Amino acid sequence: MDESVHHETGHAAAKLRYQPALPIPNGKLCLWLFLSTEIMFFAGLIGTYIVLRFGAPRGTWPSPHDVHVVELIGAANTFVLIFSSFTVVLALEFAKANKAALAKSALAATFVLGGVFLVVKGYEYSAKFRHGVYPSAPHSLLYDRADVNYSAAVKAHLTAMRAKLESRKTELASRDASLPESDQRRLDLIGVLQRDLVQWTDLRATHASDPFVGDDALLVMAQMIYPLHAHEAAARSAREREIAELTATLASLPRVKGIGEHVPPMAHRETDAATGQGTPAEITGQAVLDDPQRIGARIELLRRADSGEWPHGLNEGESWLRLPMHIPSGHLWASTYFLLTGFHAFHVLVGLLVFALALPLRLDARRAGLLENAGLYWHFVDLVWIFLFPMLYS
Amino acid sequence: MSVPNAPHAATPSSDAHAERSHSGAGLRTFLFVFGGLLLLTACSYLTFRLAADAPAIRWPLMMAISCVKALLVISFFMHLIWETRWKYVLTIPASIMSLLLIALLIPDIGLRSRKYSEERLRNAARPRVGNAGDEHGPAPHRPRPAVDPPR
Repeated sequence: MDESVHHETGHAAAKLRYQPALPIPNGKLCLWLFLSTEIMFFAGLIGTYIVLRFGAPRGTWPSPHDVHVVELIGAANTFVLIFSSFTVVLALEFAKANKAALAKSALAATFVLGGVFLVVKGYEYSAKFRHGVYPSAPHSLLYDRADVNYSAAVKAHLTAMRAKLESRKTELASRDASLPESDQRRLDLIGVLQRDLVQWTDLRATHASDPFVGDDALLVMAQMIYPLHAHEAAARSAREREIAELTATLASLPRVKGIGEHVPPMAHRETDAATGQGTPAEITGQAVLDDPQRIGARIELLRRADSGEWPHGLNEGESWLRLPMHIPSGHLWASTYFLLTGFHAFHVLVGLLVFALALPLRLDARRAGLLENAGLYWHFVDLVWIFLFPMLYS
Repeated sequence: MSVPNAPHAATPSSDAHAERSHSGAGLRTFLFVFGGLLLLTACSYLTFRLAADAPAIRWPLMMAISCVKALLVISFFMHLIWETRWKYVLTIPASIMSLLLIALLIPDIGLRSRKYSEERLRNAARPRVGNAGDEHGPAPHRPRPAVDPPR
């Protein structure tokens, strides 16, 4: 084009020479400008994650194991992305050397590896969802603190599950059938948990003059449902303390029949003893705490937890329960994890789209520019993952 | 309609020259870089396994390894080591901007829990369950009879 301009305008304009602003093709310049905005985008996200993580209350950030993050899978996916980065480098080198067929196979390998990364990522996501680790309500089962709101959530959850099973039972009974063995077992376990886990914890939390007693009971409940490594020792000693205290109480009680023996157990009522509704006036919360039968049942539940009946918690041992889980800073962890990996996975998806569009072309030296730009983008996606891997998986 | 710097506009000889000056030593270099990246990934994973109980060591070490990996990818795979000085124009201002954004978060979000302590949390006010007060009047602080039974 500049040659025709020379001819038409004569020697006065001959000194005007085309001088690019930067010594690179326009396409590459545009891609680098785009990448500089991407640097700001991801550095902003990653930096915010670091600030949030290290600004979280001391010792609360969940360990990888607590939130079902498997380091080996992350390392394998890092390998997959690095390998795909290398194949895209190969594709560019082959294209520059005019070896179109080789370039195409290298690009196809990149495409496959990117797909493998996304499949693994999808598997990781599904593992989190299976355990109720969602970034937000309505599916999220995460609770930041084991407080009375947490115990209320567990109670509501158990009540709803019980209602479902009971209605099934009555429906089957109307047809002269009985609940399957497994469902009856579930119903029984729900009854035990309602009575000796949730109600007992609530009563201890409200009736103890010492707030530490209530804290201990709530911690014991949370750890029984979903044990966190960091709190395991504290929960074990809290269980031991409670067993010792209850055993002493039981020994000191006069040998009279407990109210539990002539009043139906609390779990078989529709209402909560703590509210007093539908409960005989003489059964107060304190009476429940003093009932030898209830004390015995509570001790038995604590012993079951100590004996390792549910070594990975009720939620793992009885996965149908899906009870609310106490994971400190769990919400923040889930939001940041899904945001960072989600945006990264989206970028991988866009890269795969570009490769899919480039694959049908003849990838000779004329396409080197295209391959270089696609490669630059892909390397950037790899770069982001190189930082996400240690941050999210350790 | 030829664009002066497009690869296909260059003559074969200048193309070969540009390639040599552009991608350094060629495939061998990339193979070494790839091997280095794999080795560093393995190191990162080993750090995680070996320093599992020392997060204060594990995290910085893994991040340092990642910085080296990032430097390798940027320099060789993204060819920045062979590019002229325009690379600084496009990367450094963007990096400064993102650092500024993070710095702005620290005084508020980053330090939001610096006064938290286990003791404070234990002694903080907390909600009470249900309406237990109904049973025992306004002050439901009846001491739990742990040793001497009421009956």
